[in-house]
Amino acid sequence: MESLLSLFISFMIIGIGAYGGGMVTIPLIQHEIVVKNNWLLLDEMAEIFAIAQMTPGPIAINSATFTGFRIAGILGAIVATLAVILPSISIFTLLTPIITRYKENKHFCRLRNNMQLGVLSLIFFAVWSYGSAVIKGFSDLVIAIIAFLFLVYFEKKLHPIVVILTCGVIGLIIF
Amino acid sequence: MQYEEAEKNKQDISLLEIFWIFFRIGMFTLGGGLAMSMVMRHELVNKRQLLDDDDFCSIVAMATAVPGLIAVNVGYLLGRRLRGWKGIILSVLGVVLPSFFIILLIVSLLLPYFYNPMVVNFLRGCAIAVVGQLAFASYIFSKRSLRKWSHLAVCALGVLILVVFKFHPIFALIVVSLVGYWLFPEKKV
Repeated sequence: MESLLSLFISFMIIGIGAYGGGMVTIPLIQHEIVVKNNWLLLDEMAEIFAIAQMTPGPIAINSATFTGFRIAGILGAIVATLAVILPSISIFTLLTPIITRYKENKHFCRLRNNMQLGVLSLIFFAVWSYGSAVIKGFSDLVIAIIAFLFLVYFEKKLHPIVVILTCGVIGLIIF
Repeated sequence: MQYEEAEKNKQDISLLEIFWIFFRIGMFTLGGGLAMSMVMRHELVNKRQLLDDDDFCSIVAMATAVPGLIAVNVGYLLGRRLRGWKGIILSVLGVVLPSFFIILLIVSLLLPYFYNPMVVNFLRGCAIAVVGQLAFASYIFSKRSLRKWSHLAVCALGVLILVVFKFHPIFALIVVSLVGYWLFPEKKV
């Protein structure tokens, strides 16, 4: 019971602190799970990140399910996963009335329109951090650039999942 | 306002369809929320035309700017936009459940097979494509929000803060938003 509660609290902190995409969250997850609670060893954590990075879904959710299961079985997995998504949902539920109220305010609009530039910096950073974690050599870079060009050129027609699976098959052949 | 829009869309998409779209996206998308949102864009903007690119990009921007997992945030906002609170429940479940079950499956049964070289190579190829997909996300956003060279300069300031000075992302977002607010009073989304 006690471990379920601390699982819940830790993953709620991770859910709030998950900011700017998966790679940025990794140090926080590591801190909560390995340093603060000693739930897993550093090696096990590295294994989780490797798996989380290569399986579908956000890294924070993947590591929540994984750690929860290791600590307290299926119930732990459910508790940790709920805890990690709870902040997102409650923050928006609280924010909505405020945003609706100031929607027409011109300072609010001006700030919101300029916030897009900040968001764009975060997206560029996500490309950088994910790229530097995944791309290990020249051939990897070439594949990533070709995938990018295909996505841009066939923007309206090509389903992005097709590009990803194709690159998976290419990986199977050349690595 | 949001709920009126949701009413308007009611005819266009069923709750089951929302769940199925988001479930499929959760099932096949590596690389987390931002990469996921490009698949959502394809499904909802390009294929079904349920909302336009302006709406979509401002939703993703909001989801990135607010704390919390980007994937869940985007799911929440899109679900609400499409079908109100019922839409929220189904889209968030759709985004979360595939990762949940896949990880459970891996941790309880498949862990030994996960290190099979074929699996590793396939997933590595996929992960490399995700880099291209994230670059594609930045391309879509740049096209919309970088209207002048000075916009690019302010955005680059944010990247500098993150990559070189390694500050926390929220700090970069606040600095860039405020500098933008100060320099570009007339900026459109």
